[in-house]
Amino acid sequence: MRDVAVLGVGMHPWGKFADRSVTQMCRVATEAALQDAGIEWREVEAVAAASSRFSGGKGWGLNGNDVVEDMGSTGIPVYNLSAGCAAGGNAFNIGWTLVASGAHDCVLVVGGEKMPKGFIQTSGLEEETDPEHLRQLCVGMPGPAFWAALCRRRMQDFGTSHEDLARIAVKAHQIGKHNTNARFRQEFSIEDVLNSAMVSYPLHLYEICPVSDGAAAVLICSADIARKRTTRPVWVASSSVATARFDDGLPRGLGTVVPQTGPTCHSEASIAVGNALEKAGVAPTELDLVELQDNTVFYELAFPEDWGLCQPGEAERLVEKGETLPTGKLPINPSGGFLCFGEATTAMGVFQICELTWQLREQAGPRQVPGAKIGLGQTLGLGGNATAAVLKN
Amino acid sequence: MTMHERIPVTEGLFAETAAGPRLLGSRCRTCSTPYFPRSLSCHNPECGESQMEDADFGPRGSLWSCAIQNYPPPLPARYEEPYTPYAVGVVDLDEGLRVVARMSVDDLDSLQLDAEVELTIEPIYRDEDGREVTTWKFKPLQSTAK
Ligand SMILES: [Zn+2]
Repeated sequence: MRDVAVLGVGMHPWGKFADRSVTQMCRVATEAALQDAGIEWREVEAVAAASSRFSGGKGWGLNGNDVVEDMGSTGIPVYNLSAGCAAGGNAFNIGWTLVASGAHDCVLVVGGEKMPKGFIQTSGLEEETDPEHLRQLCVGMPGPAFWAALCRRRMQDFGTSHEDLARIAVKAHQIGKHNTNARFRQEFSIEDVLNSAMVSYPLHLYEICPVSDGAAAVLICSADIARKRTTRPVWVASSSVATARFDDGLPRGLGTVVPQTGPTCHSEASIAVGNALEKAGVAPTELDLVELQDNTVFYELAFPEDWGLCQPGEAERLVEKGETLPTGKLPINPSGGFLCFGEATTAMGVFQICELTWQLREQAGPRQVPGAKIGLGQTLGLGGNATAAVLKN
Repeated sequence: MTMHERIPVTEGLFAETAAGPRLLGSRCRTCSTPYFPRSLSCHNPECGESQMEDADFGPRGSLWSCAIQNYPPPLPARYEEPYTPYAVGVVDLDEGLRVVARMSVDDLDSLQLDAEVELTIEPIYRDEDGREVTTWKFKPLQSTAK
């Protein structure tokens, strides 16, 4: 496999944009990435795009085709990738594979999403053969209730307090207020978080991410091109995709087996991150920053422990001591994360690559992780999908 | 008091049997893996040969975790107006099956994790024709009120 570099990144701000199509938002992100890379559209050899469930793509998830038609139909191959909320990370992995394998030298990875208002249905089907449909029909346990149940178990096992949970949202907004692409840029106190509406006990409104509109694009290329075009390339040390193990005990669908050994966790995320670190030759403790999928504050406690970045039960104290801030020893989500952006579901994996790149180029301004050299991004999606990527400067 | 007609929220997932309420699933004869709902084949990657047979599960288990659904859930979940928050649980049945379920109580003091719970079939809402629509729920075996 060849070395692959991130040459350019671009983002359309996250928010609610009633008068703008997802393709228009993807164009803003794509043009910014091309300009950042110093690459013309006609030099792009292939597109790997996240398939949106909610917007554009002719209703078939053909969002990459929309982007190519909009930017100018040059006849290039388009790969539309579907992996639930992991689709952006999945598209990045395919883009990386296309360049690393030598099939192409210059590939655009893009993800954009316009989300419906309010709480979304998890299943896109109304068939009683679909376990996710049955779960909502018979039990009524949408995403936040699922996160809340995982969180409640942690509170039992590790004594996590309501203040411990709220502190993570406080920290996210402490950093996210500096990010001009973020949707929610106000600071909150612990009291503000605990006084926000209870969405699903024990999780409050400010402790879960809402849905947003947003788009992000990255231009990746071979080492030859990178060396010609820039003196400070950011390298893709590894990119991986995984699916869940049969016996991880996570209550997906209606039922699963009680795990015989090991903790209950998102095995897909642990596998993807483990593989990405191994392929990059990076120990968990060597990471300078992590952009992880914080749909809820719970994941900011559980994931670092699941992946060996800290000890089980240690995460609450790291947050309390400020160690997960950009200036701490384990910076998590210096972008502000999903909590400050809201989730534009299939764009999030590309969004993370943008933030990691800005951090590794030391272009992140007030949210900069000092001296950042190695960063990890991770996404998670319905169907037991997960992705991870390690970037280095 | 009039008895209301009862219908299950969906067919084939649970039943009142002579021995009490049960969840209807299957089990692999080769590797003993339990499935709910029924599965046509065994999904255990370590299993040598998928040999599925019908099996029912319950009524006893322990409460692995729970949460409150504080806001009205989106479709296809249904509820009666005015909306009242309900509890959902994740229950480890004695047969090695972990299932999601409604809880029959919704006050947090009664929902202690790792407590013993029992399967029950109860209504979740009344439909347009006045019929009570039922699903599977779990209720704590002992009141924790002291
Ligand atoms: Zn089997």
